[in-house]
Amino acid sequence: MALDAEVAAGAARRGAAPRVARKSHFRMQVWATWLVLALLLAWGCRALQLDFGYVAQKLPFLLGLRLGPDGFIQGAVLTLFVTAVSMVCALGIAMITAAGRLSDNPVAFALATFYASLFRGTPLLVQVLIIYLALPQVGVVLGGLTSGLIALSLNYGAYLAETIRSGMMAIPLGQREAAMALSLPRWLIIWKVTGPQALRLIIPPAGALFVSMLKDSALVSILGLWELNFLAQSYARASFRYMEMLLAAALIYWALSIVFEIVQFRLERRFGRGVAVAARR
Amino acid sequence: MRTMLFLLLALALVPAHAGATLDRVKRTGVVINVLLDSYPPFEFLGPDNQLAGFDIDVARAFAAKIGAKLQLQTPSWETIVGGHWQGRWDICICSMTRTAERERSLSFPVQYYASPAVITVNKNEQHIKSAADLSGKRVGVGNGSTYENYLNRALVLDGQAVVSYPFHDVVAIPGDETINFRNLALGPGVRLDAIVSSLATATASAAALPALKVLSPTLYAERSSVATEKGDPDWDALVARTFQELKADGSLAKISQKWLNMDAIVYGP
Repeated sequence: MALDAEVAAGAARRGAAPRVARKSHFRMQVWATWLVLALLLAWGCRALQLDFGYVAQKLPFLLGLRLGPDGFIQGAVLTLFVTAVSMVCALGIAMITAAGRLSDNPVAFALATFYASLFRGTPLLVQVLIIYLALPQVGVVLGGLTSGLIALSLNYGAYLAETIRSGMMAIPLGQREAAMALSLPRWLIIWKVTGPQALRLIIPPAGALFVSMLKDSALVSILGLWELNFLAQSYARASFRYMEMLLAAALIYWALSIVFEIVQFRLERRFGRGVAVAARR
Repeated sequence: MRTMLFLLLALALVPAHAGATLDRVKRTGVVINVLLDSYPPFEFLGPDNQLAGFDIDVARAFAAKIGAKLQLQTPSWETIVGGHWQGRWDICICSMTRTAERERSLSFPVQYYASPAVITVNKNEQHIKSAADLSGKRVGVGNGSTYENYLNRALVLDGQAVVSYPFHDVVAIPGDETINFRNLALGPGVRLDAIVSSLATATASAAALPALKVLSPTLYAERSSVATEKGDPDWDALVARTFQELKADGSLAKISQKWLNMDAIVYGP
């Protein structure tokens, strides 16, 4: 199980002697602590006198197992869809922007820097509303979904661009020079030499960004998208069962985040192979 | 960034049809009503996970009358009242009050019900008996609602300032109305001292939250209108005519009977 692998990696990170007994001891204590924390959380929730029947009744809708009244996906499925599409778009935007930020061309640098500053310097909520409300006034009428996707992509693209740039800049110049001395073409240097090394540094902060994007996707509910947060609040209002619905939504967001974290951990391990091997020697 | 620009350009080339609402409804056979999911008993998500309430049933009756299919959309209130719908939505049967401010951005072809504004307080509240006692109190109102304008002494209804303000220095606290009611139920003055809202939403909330009490003297009568995008008089005329018919054939009265069984509320144009 991936979580277990993370615990094992935690044991390794702590510089424990590579003896199996030490490792499994650490692992056991981590799981025990998590169990205690989970029990505490459950006990705290019990004090709220929740109506689990209502949660069970609404859960399939919150999870998005059924389509919305207009036949479109809803709930957690829509949340995931919005996050996944925005993630891909943001990644593309970020790579182009990072290239611009590192470019010798003054126009490319200026464009990329301007964009990154603008979208990092204004609140996401404001961007969502401006894209939805202002663009129609110049003749571009976008639907709620498209507006939300564009806003999320542009906002997170700006942050991600800086993450990518910092990763690229952290690679010593000698690596590129050595590759150039071997007369490797430019794209191959990025693909095989500097890129993989930079990815090791980029993946942890990028993973954090994507987890944060998953939760920020709740902002698109103001455009009338029936995603997880929208449904939870709507059911809460209709039934006056706020705690049940908000806690259920929070738990679903958390579960999704954990999946993201596991993926991030796997990628981290994959791109950290070289360093891990070097450290063991 | 570059790809996004191309995408925007491509979308900009698709012709936007602002204004001609009637043409669009005729062509598509669909009428899109924009409303909220947060205004029980007028508009909310019902037990069967469909939007339900007074306004939804009125919208259904309206769509059936003009022979169109009804579609509902639920963006946030501030995106609706700002106008500039640009053909996104055809009509707002959404309990909107016609005010001088809103008339600048929207058209109001017909009124369809009138409801008094009331004060709701906590059951344990000792001091607030009428509007005069609201001075210096923290009073919850819906985000961007006419009740907010009322507390700020700036409400202009039907083109004239007929409302009196027997209070001063009220702290209006705008927010989600249903969350405001919950806050008030926590106790008098805990988060709010009172709430000003429509009689219908106040009554529904007091039924769900026994800690609340609706004060009996009403503040002023407020008429809710149907809103449309500016610039299509033919559509507005059809809307007005259809609502006259809905009143004449008793449909409005039947729907109101179902959702808001109250004498204080008057229906029809």
